[in-house]
Amino acid sequence: MEKVQLETLTGVIDKKMNRQLKQYIDICARCAICKDACHQYVGTGDFKYLPARRAELIRQIYKRYFDKAGRFMPALYEAREPDDNLLDELYDSTYACTGCRRCMYYCPFSIDTAWILSVAKAILIAAGRGNEMLGQLADAAIFKGDNAAMFEGVMLSGFDDISEEVRAITGDPEHRVHVNKEGADVLYVALAGAHSIRPAAVIFEEAGENWTISMFEAANYGFFYGDTEKARLITKRYIDEAKRLGVKEIVVPECGHAYRVAEFFYEAWSKEPMPFKVTHILEKVDDYIKSGRITVDKGLIEGKVTYHDPCQLGRNGGKFEQPRDIVKAVTDNFVDLTPNRAEQWCCGGGGGIVAMEEFKDVRLKSGAKKVEQLKASGASVLACPCENCRLQIEELNEVHELGMEIWQVIDLVVAAMPLPGNQKGAEATE
Amino acid sequence: MSDETKVDLELDLKGLLCPLPMVKVSQNINNVPVGGIIRAVATDPGAMADIPAWAQSTGNEVVSADKQGSEFVFLVKRVK
Amino acid sequence: METYLWITSVWGVYLGIAVFVLGMGLRIYQWATTPKSPVRLGMFPKPATKSGRFFKMLKDTLIAPHSAKIEPKMWIFAMIFHVAALAAFVGHLRILGEYPILPELLGGEHAMNTFAAYAGSIAGTLMLVGVIFWIVRRTFGPYKNLSVPEDYLLLFLLFGVIIMGDHLRFVYGGFIHADTYQEWFRSLLAFKPMFPEKLLSGNVGWSLGTHMLFTDLFLIYFPFSKLVHTIGSFAANYVRSE
Ligand code: HEM
Ligand code: SF4
Ligand code: SF4
Repeated sequence: MEKVQLETLTGVIDKKMNRQLKQYIDICARCAICKDACHQYVGTGDFKYLPARRAELIRQIYKRYFDKAGRFMPALYEAREPDDNLLDELYDSTYACTGCRRCMYYCPFSIDTAWILSVAKAILIAAGRGNEMLGQLADAAIFKGDNAAMFEGVMLSGFDDISEEVRAITGDPEHRVHVNKEGADVLYVALAGAHSIRPAAVIFEEAGENWTISMFEAANYGFFYGDTEKARLITKRYIDEAKRLGVKEIVVPECGHAYRVAEFFYEAWSKEPMPFKVTHILEKVDDYIKSGRITVDKGLIEGKVTYHDPCQLGRNGGKFEQPRDIVKAVTDNFVDLTPNRAEQWCCGGGGGIVAMEEFKDVRLKSGAKKVEQLKASGASVLACPCENCRLQIEELNEVHELGMEIWQVIDLVVAAMPLPGNQKGAEATE
Repeated sequence: MSDETKVDLELDLKGLLCPLPMVKVSQNINNVPVGGIIRAVATDPGAMADIPAWAQSTGNEVVSADKQGSEFVFLVKRVK
Repeated sequence: METYLWITSVWGVYLGIAVFVLGMGLRIYQWATTPKSPVRLGMFPKPATKSGRFFKMLKDTLIAPHSAKIEPKMWIFAMIFHVAALAAFVGHLRILGEYPILPELLGGEHAMNTFAAYAGSIAGTLMLVGVIFWIVRRTFGPYKNLSVPEDYLLLFLLFGVIIMGDHLRFVYGGFIHADTYQEWFRSLLAFKPMFPEKLLSGNVGWSLGTHMLFTDLFLIYFPFSKLVHTIGSFAANYVRSE
């Protein structure tokens, strides 16, 4: 390896290293307790997907250049330089990782393998080996932020169309998607598609919420790509917007990593405290239902309903009960998956993997546990509040011919609301 | 004008949710020669912003982006 | 034999303890002086209060309930080893000085020696069982692939420590008791090293010397190995609930 490039790579490690990472690297016992926690290792049996192995590659580089004992006796630790072999394997095991942190849950030392892999991503990017697709998605998002005026026309006309659909569902001629509303309490940052805006708008309007829509989407491919600066810029788009509009609260949509980024990461990236609170839309909806601001009828949803905890919302976001309470409010026929909540199996669709064609094979194999769970539940409807999870589970549904209906939770809520056009709302998302 | 453009690849992206339409276009751009055209039809309105933003940031060109009923039709030209 | 004893059981012990203490100190210093991750790494469920998080950290570290759930077999053997190791450590404290109260409770010095013999035999055997399980486990499949020479070196050293410890216990345990070892070890602490006659006669010196040789090497390597998890595990498990 050339000296210059090597220095770049070790420089990245030096910059990224912090106390937690150092401890993770120093203490792993290589006991492999984490192996059966990882849906990718369990689904493929491929050694490179064993969580501790993924981290081991970073450990090998770290020991080689940063640890006295490792420099003194590299063979003892299999410490080595980041050559092509290492980087090839690192690319596969790093970008495949969905960041579910199920391995961390079971590790006796709670080692956050996904976090160690954030160093791996920085190394890969510095070596010119960052995932191209995720990089492009991130750059496109940043471009939209920098050239907001260029897209305003399309966005507004899109919102107009959605407003019309909302009125058709609620039957109230006043209802609409609010845009650029200064003094709104809530800024709803949706996803790019209409499906995440329409039902939310129905619910906000019916609840009489003082809300407005963001011109940007909540998804953050900069985070998946592994470039903190890009990730910060992407989130910054709607943080600045929220400041400009003076809202009290940012509500993020049914997208797991969007919630985690907004609630747990952005402050650390931007080094400034957030002047508003971050809420997941299902916290809002749960509150609307419990306080009677919207009405839902049981019995409008047919079939046995189950619920999948997206890793970023559940284990990594702490929202276990609100989504379940919502589902239980719209049906009496609810069954939980086993295991569930913090122990929920990752569906295999996180970390941006659904956008990376090259990982399709491991992605589908890694869904084996989810398929097993879904079959065992006997449910015909799955409520799932994360876009990436839904994309993956819909594909699993097809491949394994499960014959299930996969719903956003807010679609389920709208379908259970006694509204003149709610059938339409349900159908439109299928 | 767009009717006369020679299309090298047709992509049916109907039903795909964002950002997948953009992902598919990006994955397929190398399947047409430089200067070649992809015609993509999507139904997710988000694509109206996503695909042009992707083209701009990767140095490709959106020749046209039209709304036709409930569909969005893109002509994307590979520049490099 | 006397030279062997002086190397392994006097100078080796001094060196081992010095390297261990300095090495661990250095490691902790390095951790403490590296800035914390700016991002909160905690996961859920986590207690809302600081004391709740502290007790959860203790539970997660000392009992590892999650690991028990996913790999019960490994958990049982790891528990056996660690608890036995703790017991053996406590037992070894007797070479610093006799326990207060306990001999009286058991009914005299003879009873105390008998109790120590049983307790030591059990702990020594269990540790051996744990270590053999780990060694065997690292000979096949993903466990082997994941292992690096460091893992085998540690297990080898540990195996040596335990086998020789058990040897001392089972072969010489009948007539050499803690008081003899006490004389030797306290002389080390007083920096006036000497060996009681009982250790120099017969072959026990070779056994003790070898037990100490492995122990010295184990102590020297400890701070540069993954065994720093003895301290790091508490810190890392606290981060889990932050
Ligand atoms: C109280 C916190 C501790 C926890 C949670 C803990 C946990 C663990 C775990 C999970 C392993 C993995 C077993 C394996 O390697 O397959 C392990 C190994 C080990 N631990 Fe600990 N341990 C603790 C304290 C200690 C202490 C105080 C010692 C002191 C002797 C120790 C010595 C070892 C040894 C020698 C191994 C074997 C490593 C190997 O397999 O090569 N541990 N420990
Ligand atoms: S469970 Fe934890 S300590 Fe054990 S190998 Fe995996 S990451 Fe390392
Ligand atoms: S975070 Fe999830 S996908 Fe990544 S290594 Fe751990 S268990 Fe596997």
